[in-house]
Amino acid sequence: MTLKEIREMIQLMEEHGLVEIELEREGMKIRLRKAGGTVPQVTMEHIPSAIPSPGAPAPLAAPVPTVKRVTINSPMVGTFYPAPAPDAASFTEVGQTVEEGQVVCIIEAMKLMNEIKSDVKGRVVEVLATNGDPVEFGQPLFALEPV
Amino acid sequence: MFSKMLIANRGEIAVRIIRACRELGIRTVAVYSSADATSLHVKLADEAICIGGPSPQESYLNIPSIISAAEISDVEAIHPGYGFLAENAHFAEICESCQITFIGPSPQTIRLMGDKIVAKDSMRKAGVPIIPGSVGVIQNKEEALKTAKRLKYPVIIKAAAGGGGRGMRVCHNDIRLVSALLTCQAEAEAAFGKPAVFIEQCVEQPRHVEFQIVADTHGHVLHLGERDCSIQRRHQKLIEESPSPSVDHKLRRKMGDMAVRAAKAAGYTNVGTVEFLVDQEHNFYFMEMNTRIQVEHPVTEMVTGLDLVKLQIELATGERLHLKQDEVRLNGWAIECRINAEDPSNGFTPSPGTVTQCHFPGGPHVRVDSHLYAGYEVPPYYDSLLAKLIVHGATRHDAIRVMQRALEECVIEPVKTTTQLHQRIFHDPTFLRGQISTNYLEQLLGTGEGAA
Repeated sequence: MTLKEIREMIQLMEEHGLVEIELEREGMKIRLRKAGGTVPQVTMEHIPSAIPSPGAPAPLAAPVPTVKRVTINSPMVGTFYPAPAPDAASFTEVGQTVEEGQVVCIIEAMKLMNEIKSDVKGRVVEVLATNGDPVEFGQPLFALEPV
Repeated sequence: MFSKMLIANRGEIAVRIIRACRELGIRTVAVYSSADATSLHVKLADEAICIGGPSPQESYLNIPSIISAAEISDVEAIHPGYGFLAENAHFAEICESCQITFIGPSPQTIRLMGDKIVAKDSMRKAGVPIIPGSVGVIQNKEEALKTAKRLKYPVIIKAAAGGGGRGMRVCHNDIRLVSALLTCQAEAEAAFGKPAVFIEQCVEQPRHVEFQIVADTHGHVLHLGERDCSIQRRHQKLIEESPSPSVDHKLRRKMGDMAVRAAKAAGYTNVGTVEFLVDQEHNFYFMEMNTRIQVEHPVTEMVTGLDLVKLQIELATGERLHLKQDEVRLNGWAIECRINAEDPSNGFTPSPGTVTQCHFPGGPHVRVDSHLYAGYEVPPYYDSLLAKLIVHGATRHDAIRVMQRALEECVIEPVKTTTQLHQRIFHDPTFLRGQISTNYLEQLLGTGEGAA
């Protein structure tokens, strides 16, 4: 995914009045979402650098939202599950307030289901990981507005 | 051939393994700590997974995290590189139980050679000459003193679970021996998890000569000649060369045969190294066996024309080794300098930081293995190796001329490196004459820095 391709996608969105585009390729997924204003937001996940040029510019960073946000990041490598079982309700929904120490999701690692607890108190504004996705250490799982 | 492999390492060796995988058509998965997010191996791999925080314990030694990464990226094999988990038998076992091929020998062999006392004993039984020393673990100071009396001062106390030059202390008398014993046991416990130590005779003015071993899983074992690694600081190698200036055809055959015998006694498969000490009378003694690819493997690659990392991967698929011992030739002379981020003019203090200028030498017969690039920030959490500069010449003299020229071209700024020290060595008459032993650097620096 090059800078040029991302710009082209943003332009496409502008031209057609699109609010959100998600593109998935082998090993990589990118989601572009138009925020309230005219500047689309960019979130990228799992960027494997196929560009082996060390002098290349740094990957795009998401524009800073106007409201303060914190993220709950994955403390381990594994597979993300938002609910305790396939047909059960999710631990955490958008709009919900979570307490510090509350279980927010499961990460499966080496056949063990690990309950992941929030280290902050806040209102969930976005779920950043998808059911069944592989996640890495430090990867943001939930965006919260602290309360 | 494997379709996907995870590299459980970092820095220059991770880059080296990725290069071999690229050429073999194997997709690569890099793992990295949060401190290594901008590292070259992360940029070069097809996929990259962050496995933990900066410290080695949180990341490159974190077995659950690495295995989890291997599972979610669905790899068929893991290459452990050198250091970190490369000689961890437990890790090799876990890979096996997860049906992931560990690129290296079996867990049993790793365990056998990893205990330096057990390894020595196996060698003794196989008729491989060993350094005179204690029989088994030294339990207390009485045993230590008795052993030292039987041998001759100076003696060296070593950690049974150590290796790679770590956890060793030279003692010149009884008083020193007794005080060093407790310290060594405590250090061994802290560093390697086991306080067991043993004692060996110190060989006078020894040369460190090691033999590269290659073995398949069908019983075919051969050696690829020797490397002389006598130039060391605190038992850490600084310069390596092949062939050794002090090994002639006859000695090479004798030592090579012994190295193969040692490897067979260990049930060795894949690629490894048997280390010997050679004394002034050309007697040689088994010191230890390294059950992994070594830092200085490019030196052997340059004189034999073989790719040892590709060989590791091919052998791990169960392929037969087609090479015959009499087909192995050492052509010309190769020398390697390890460029470390250390300040030799300031007690070799580590010198991490951002490399703003980075220019490596080129031209004929020059090879650079490195993960550096201009703008890269050298993290403080890992070893200080920045780059390996390897040269080849028709003769030792020719190789030295190439290295002198190449070192001058090498620019790594503003971090302090060992480049200037290498230049000094490559203009030193004693080195040029090839009269080197493991005391060489200590004598050159005149500070007693060479040995611990």
